[in-house]
Amino acid sequence: MSQTIIDVRNICKTFKIHKRGTGFKGAVSNVFHPRYEYKKAVNDISFNIREGEMVGFIGPNGAGKSTTVKMLSGILYPDSGSINVAGYIPHRQRKQYVANIGVVFGQKSQISWDLSPLDSYELIRHIYKIPPTLYKQNLERFTELLDMGGFINQPVRQLSLGQRMRADIAASLLHSPKIVFFDEPTIGIDVVGKDKIRKFIKTLNQTDNITMIFTTHDMQDIEKTCDRLIIIDDGKKLYDGSLEGVKRNYVSSRIIEVELEDSHTEFDIPNVTISDANNSKMKKIISFDAEKVSINYVMSELINNHSVRDISIKEPEIDAIIRDIYEGRIVMR
Amino acid sequence: MNTYLQFAAIKFRNNMAYRFEYVMGILSTLLSFVVYWSIYRALYGTEEVVDGVTFSMVATNFIISLGLNNAFAKNEMFLQDKIKQGTIANELLKPVNFKLRMLFEDFGEGLFRVIFNFLPTVIIAMFFAELQAPSGTLNMMLCIISAILGYIVLWLISFIVQSWSFWLFSVWGLITIKNVFVNILAGAFIPMWFMPAWLRDFIKFTPFDSIYFTPVQIYLGELNGYEIVINFARQIFWILILYALSELFWRRGIKKLVVQGG
Repeated sequence: MSQTIIDVRNICKTFKIHKRGTGFKGAVSNVFHPRYEYKKAVNDISFNIREGEMVGFIGPNGAGKSTTVKMLSGILYPDSGSINVAGYIPHRQRKQYVANIGVVFGQKSQISWDLSPLDSYELIRHIYKIPPTLYKQNLERFTELLDMGGFINQPVRQLSLGQRMRADIAASLLHSPKIVFFDEPTIGIDVVGKDKIRKFIKTLNQTDNITMIFTTHDMQDIEKTCDRLIIIDDGKKLYDGSLEGVKRNYVSSRIIEVELEDSHTEFDIPNVTISDANNSKMKKIISFDAEKVSINYVMSELINNHSVRDISIKEPEIDAIIRDIYEGRIVMR
Repeated sequence: MNTYLQFAAIKFRNNMAYRFEYVMGILSTLLSFVVYWSIYRALYGTEEVVDGVTFSMVATNFIISLGLNNAFAKNEMFLQDKIKQGTIANELLKPVNFKLRMLFEDFGEGLFRVIFNFLPTVIIAMFFAELQAPSGTLNMMLCIISAILGYIVLWLISFIVQSWSFWLFSVWGLITIKNVFVNILAGAFIPMWFMPAWLRDFIKFTPFDSIYFTPVQIYLGELNGYEIVINFARQIFWILILYALSELFWRRGIKKLVVQGG
């Protein structure tokens, strides 16, 4: 078992939000009576991450993912609680600490708009004092893995979003950090681009044993890259464990799709919801809670009482599960 | 140090990218000089000396202030923009001293302006205005040192005002007010010699005269050795005070930083 590298205990962060009235009247009253409201962006979150782990952070917009990442990377001060990453207290020892980490913000580019990625990398080489051989080796490797050869010399403003993001990811890894935070690195990127980024991240995690935290809204990102998942909502940690665990432990609903020989058949199975599939009258979608009704029972009811042409059992999609969790239909235990 | 010089170099190179800008930069620098020069030419009329100040001293005062003004060219919206757009996050992720990095970037910009806007202006101005030569090599060197100290004073004042964007988010108004104060009190609009005695006495207690006026006086040879030492001491005194203040604002600000967007 490898060592714990990130140790977060009971961190909280509250933001003061300026409430503005609307329209001219609101703008005027705002000058004389500014009103504020406090929002707990992160509310008592704790977790540990071991060296070399790859952890996905998910949660709806405003759940506190980015705030957590920003506190982990030393940009924001937590109001309370403690953070220890690789022996550093990020917000206290920012300058020394950040030399050891890489951060990619999907929504904020760190490479200069007017320069080419290569020019920006040169500056990064100086900022991080990267030894020339390591720099050359990393640059060649990332150029190849991220397929950047075609645009590395073009000014950043002429790049597509997908290209820019790849250039950004390379920029944050040139100094061979031990820990990397990706904050929505696939936001707004097409399927091919996403795939390239995921493969790259996965490769790096496996071959270089880099510890990674990955925030995203895209469950595919998590499924393809992470072994462990932390779900955050409303500033609180809802779940921490494997992706399979979510399905196994929290989701007992099952869906059976049947195609019948005869469309006029009437069903009635207790505790089971039956609906018509939208493309065919012969198809029915049967959903039920596997804890209340056994699959065995539903199947035997179907097969014994009806002539079935085709049948398939579906596990709910992870996206649907997450949606249910966000909307409170599944209560985390 | 090399790291920070890179920031200056990048800024310098970024400026080179906009060729039309620097042609316009020369024109605007030249134009301001011509405006000041003409106003004072008219005020002097046929006189050569007013209150013991020669017209060429005045012209020299303006050309030096303009030079320093160019050198001091800096992006005063830097911090505000970074905070407003949330890109301050990326800055804080770099293992560098943010203030030093900002100083060097401004320095790169200033150097560009001096070389490409100010020097051409001086050369053109020499054809029509009588400018005074420096009062000796030693004085010229001392003038440059004091200009650098003056630069730091001005930079720190600007940084302090900018750092208020941590609380206010928009500091454009404050910066404009600050610039009016600096330009008047530092003698960039009206040479210090023509200010009423009470105002000059008041300015003596502020950091403003150590920005432009100290280097100008040294250049013209108006100060003796002892006075030069006193003026250097004053510049350093203000740098220490302003540095302490800027550090205080920066530390407080960064603690309450709100990263906008995403």
